[in-house]
Amino acid sequence: MQSRNSKNIPASWKLLDLAERLLVTIWPARLNKYVGWGFLLPALLLVGILLIGLGYIIEYSFHELDLATYRLKAEYSLTNYHTFINRPVYLHILGRTMLASIIVTIITLILAFPYAYMLVRTRSAMMRKFLLIALFLPFFIGQVVRAYGWLIILGKQGFVNSILTSIGLPELDLIYNFQAIVFGLIQYMLPFAILLIIPAITSISEDFELASEGLGANWVSTFRHVVLPMAKPGLVGSFVVVFTLTMTDFAMPEILGGGTSDFIANAIYDSFFQISNPGLGAALSVLLVAIGSIIVTAIFYFAGTGTLGIRQKTR
Amino acid sequence: MRGPVSKKLILWSLVWFSIITMSLPTIIIIGASFTSGEMIQFPPEGFSLRWYQRLWQLDDFQQALLRTFYVSVICTIIAIPVGTLAAIATVRYRMRFQKTIQVYLLLPFTVPLVVSGISMMLFFGEIRILGQLWPVGVALCIINIPFMIWSVSASVNSLDPELENAAYNCGAPPVQAFLTVTLPAVMPGVITGSLLMFILAFNEFLVSLFLTDSRTVTLPVQIYNSVRSVITPDLAAVSVLYIVFALLAIWLLDRLVGLEIFLRSK
Amino acid sequence: MSKLSKLKADRRSILKAGTAAAGLLAMPSILMAEEKKPKEIIVRAWGGAWGDALKAGVADPFTAATGIKVRMDFTEDNEIKPKIWAAVDQGRVPPIHVNWDTTTNATISALRGATVDLSDLSNLKGLLPSAKPKGLEGYPLVNTYAYVYVCAYRPEAFPDGPPKSWNVLIDPKFKGRVALYDDGIGFNPISVLVGGGKLSDIPDHMEKGYEFYRKLKANKPLLGEDADFTTWFQKGEIDVACTISVNAREAQQKGINVKWTVPQEGCKVDTDGLWVPKGLPGNEEYWAKEFVNFALTREAQQKWCSLLGLPPVYPGIEPPKDLVGDPSYPTKPEDFKKLISIPSPVLVKNQPIWFAKFNEIFQG
Repeated sequence: MQSRNSKNIPASWKLLDLAERLLVTIWPARLNKYVGWGFLLPALLLVGILLIGLGYIIEYSFHELDLATYRLKAEYSLTNYHTFINRPVYLHILGRTMLASIIVTIITLILAFPYAYMLVRTRSAMMRKFLLIALFLPFFIGQVVRAYGWLIILGKQGFVNSILTSIGLPELDLIYNFQAIVFGLIQYMLPFAILLIIPAITSISEDFELASEGLGANWVSTFRHVVLPMAKPGLVGSFVVVFTLTMTDFAMPEILGGGTSDFIANAIYDSFFQISNPGLGAALSVLLVAIGSIIVTAIFYFAGTGTLGIRQKTR
Repeated sequence: MRGPVSKKLILWSLVWFSIITMSLPTIIIIGASFTSGEMIQFPPEGFSLRWYQRLWQLDDFQQALLRTFYVSVICTIIAIPVGTLAAIATVRYRMRFQKTIQVYLLLPFTVPLVVSGISMMLFFGEIRILGQLWPVGVALCIINIPFMIWSVSASVNSLDPELENAAYNCGAPPVQAFLTVTLPAVMPGVITGSLLMFILAFNEFLVSLFLTDSRTVTLPVQIYNSVRSVITPDLAAVSVLYIVFALLAIWLLDRLVGLEIFLRSK
Repeated sequence: MSKLSKLKADRRSILKAGTAAAGLLAMPSILMAEEKKPKEIIVRAWGGAWGDALKAGVADPFTAATGIKVRMDFTEDNEIKPKIWAAVDQGRVPPIHVNWDTTTNATISALRGATVDLSDLSNLKGLLPSAKPKGLEGYPLVNTYAYVYVCAYRPEAFPDGPPKSWNVLIDPKFKGRVALYDDGIGFNPISVLVGGGKLSDIPDHMEKGYEFYRKLKANKPLLGEDADFTTWFQKGEIDVACTISVNAREAQQKGINVKWTVPQEGCKVDTDGLWVPKGLPGNEEYWAKEFVNFALTREAQQKWCSLLGLPPVYPGIEPPKDLVGDPSYPTKPEDFKKLISIPSPVLVKNQPIWFAKFNEIFQG
């Protein structure tokens, strides 16, 4: 009886039974309250690799470079942090990075918000699809390729300048300066910002806007007093992401800046690979992480985590 | 959308400005790749496929492309189980240190890429695996794993926990319940996440810059190196490859889960 | 005849053919070679005209002679340095087989113990004295040619004749149209002289040079690497640059009207060399050294250096026709009088400091 039955059972069921039994052996029922931890463990280990690496960076940052041997000295010191404070160039680079981050974030949000709004509110499915594709295409194309595209467009004899000269205007210096970097970054950040604003706008029922307009508000004040405040989680989320991504960017200043408008990330890279001073580079890394964390924590503290938080539903 | 003309005018012009800004490099690169001239310029100097032809002959680029595939596959294969399980755990299980875990799992996003790259370069160097290709895939998985967790946790959120309870009540053992109820329900999230992981790894440049050398160089790093030396139109042809892959990924995403998945409210 | 011995005979004839192809390159070591040939060796090189010259003059003939593919790695010279050091320290295989490097950087790597001794290379004999690195035991590197950081200019922008002084770099007329190396290499000693200092001020009193840098920064120079200069001249983006003659000559050969000169303050002359990092598997190290040895043969030196347009360390090679009597191709003692050579030990000690200062001024 038993054997005849098992013949009729599909192989997949047997496999399933096997899996159940295996599970019971390696994960007895009394451990069931730790299932969550079991599920989490691989991810915790994976991210742990990053954590160990960060440990190395912190350790490196406390050792000074010995210029006689080009090795880090064995004893601990704060020399690298002193270098950061005493060399005006690093404060200058930090200032430039911050300025760029603020400009890029503000302009990106100003552009991203209407885009996300129209994407959600448009009545045409075709238009929505088009806007989504126009959004995802750059999102799925890496930064290097996009920076390269801007090189072709903004270069001395690029697209823009060849139009200008053909209509008799003088060439413009569009590339290898701060503005080029900011422009390249805005273009790079737009998809991130839009994607993070979209969920916030979706959650605003259009009825609120209708109600506001029904009460006599024009669209500008409806936007100001209804839509923007209600979309705050999306704005906060994209603000944090755009700001931190800009603050830590490497490729745009490197490729579009022509080496004269470095950001902190470039200074870190140069410490490691141009002047062979890993201690200084590590110290700059620690400072970059610290500054970024302080800013993000402050925003989260005052404005909440916005669309970045993971919503919880427990059983 | 409804509203007065001024609203339409202002909002749509901003939207079109964004569309042009986002798409211009793509269009220009495609145009430039078909030039018959020696130099990159626009409008291109005559039409030819010579740079594509040249690409076909460039061993270095083909190998770099293969390596890029390899690391992207490793990244995705690790991310699928790790990210899915982590997402289910963070959303479904009540655990101690919930906040700490969330912050911890977001570390790859909060740590700047340049720092992550150097961190892993130092660590991988110490354990003597720097210079091999597979650690690059692992590294790319680490820095992008929050994308996977996000995508899946969105799906877990939309799954009614009562469904799983129902399965248990009907006597389904844990594995069966997981495979027949939980997993299918979170599948759209898994698909979205894996696609994102793959395409992000395929494009990743900065961390790869730290972890590769000329034996293991991947395509984005190769492009970056070339951009820094001589800009020839063969780069535009490589870039078009990226554009084609991006379009393919969008098409897949749309077919499998629908791009509208990103329109969900939070 | 058994299959095995036939195979052996074949191998021998292949070897012979290989040696024949190498011609009179006289590489007895190849005949004795029992070292297994690697599939390829990786040579770090500079891009643009530089890489092309190495490929045509050394790499391709080496491949023809030995069957070993040569891959060129265009990682920047400064960037490969810490990567090799880390690999050597950690006992990993270094990322490249041969480094084509500035003598200064190579010397720093040698002092750090990252280089393999090349004293036993058969082709070292008979080279000019400049092939031997200064201040180092044996041959941790070998210099391969000299070069000059000239003042390259577009004659259209200088109707009254070539620029007479390096002061032209701070002339507001050329604002945004002047170029330098991105670490200031080649212009470091010159900046002191054009800023009003003396040769004896180097390296201890560089302030006049830094002062000149600050003025230069106001003139918005473009900063780049070798190939950038060629591209900039080609695209008409600059009028004048401090660059190695090779890059200007490359633009010239692409049909661009570019000339170069040695202004009254003089130009810096320096050397480049080749070296092999420690930590390669035995057979790969062997063939890496053979590559260096190959680059020192008359044929390789002739072709490589004439393509670059630079004076080789192999004696008695005629300069390319377009460079006879050119200031960028110094051969006789009087040619060197207008040129400034900073001793290698001074560069090793001070160049990193100069780079840091340059970076500080131009980023500030």
